[in-house]
Amino acid sequence: MYFDDKIPIYYQIKNHIYHEIITGALQPGEKLPSVRQLAVDVTANVNTVQRALSEMIAAGIIESKRGRGNFVTMETTKITDLKTQLVTTQLAHVYQQLHALNLSDEEILASVQHYIERKGQAK
Amino acid sequence: MTDSLSIQNVTYKRGMKTILHDANLTLAPGKIVGLLGENGAGKTTLMRLITGSAKGAGDIMVSGDTAEADRKRHVSFSEQLRGFAGNTKLTRIIAFYETVYEDFEADRFTELATFLQIDTSLKLAALSKGMKEKLVIALTLARRTNLYLLDEPFSGIDSMSRKKIINSIIQWKPENATMVISDHYVSEIAPILDEIVIVKDQTIYAHRQADEVREEFHIGIEAYYESLYERGNDND
Repeated sequence: MYFDDKIPIYYQIKNHIYHEIITGALQPGEKLPSVRQLAVDVTANVNTVQRALSEMIAAGIIESKRGRGNFVTMETTKITDLKTQLVTTQLAHVYQQLHALNLSDEEILASVQHYIERKGQAK
Repeated sequence: MTDSLSIQNVTYKRGMKTILHDANLTLAPGKIVGLLGENGAGKTTLMRLITGSAKGAGDIMVSGDTAEADRKRHVSFSEQLRGFAGNTKLTRIIAFYETVYEDFEADRFTELATFLQIDTSLKLAALSKGMKEKLVIALTLARRTNLYLLDEPFSGIDSMSRKKIINSIIQWKPENATMVISDHYVSEIAPILDEIVIVKDQTIYAHRQADEVREEFHIGIEAYYESLYERGNDND
């Protein structure tokens, strides 16, 4: 996995796994690889991977079952919430950037729509 | 748990020249630590002080032991195999390690050698720089001990070999063992480091958690390290 060294590694690993859960690459109830295997997969430190997992466990997205390993939650509402949360974060970023260019809400909506339409034509 | 390494007020002089002074450092078990500093900053000297092959003033404790023989037992250092003639077969070097180090595990070595694609039927002189470094890593990691010291394992080797070595570190470092990796080129190993230790001005200049640096300064490890050097020697 490619890491941006300016951003904490545990945070990037967490986002990477969240992404896999939201896209369905990791299914609800699916068992995660062992911590060391995950560390090898993403080329990071075992402790850093453990920290990422601990935060996902605290957030309720991953469930740790004693002696059996870590599993993606079966509660799909939690996954839906997670998706909403990540989408909101992305939108907030775009909104803030466009707002800083003195665009009104209507203009932001119009420019997003325009962008999507044009992108469709370019295909 | 006992600290893997504790260095207190260590000073080392070579002739009239001070190489290290008042160095203090404590490392917890189970960490991967980057030892960073310019060429000649004293990184190798620090490692030699830890193993006991260099002697300075001050206290050094490895896994709770201060006596040199006990310390040596707890430390696996990446020896550059300079003591072996070029025509020595690798099998003889491996046999030597098995004899000398009680904690050298032949099975572990075989796994590592397979993973790193080392041809053990060769002679030492026949190895490329990258292959020799892989051999050094395999020999160092095949010992099962508490503290591993890797002295610039990535200098002058290609990026594929580097990736393989990094992967072998992640896979074979025992959970509670601490590993110190010295380098003057940080970016490649930055993602696998728990902590960084910077040697500058003949002492341990900084000791930080890697992710803490990223969180606090929003810069990479390499940039942080360079910023300390750019600050010059006159501050504080």
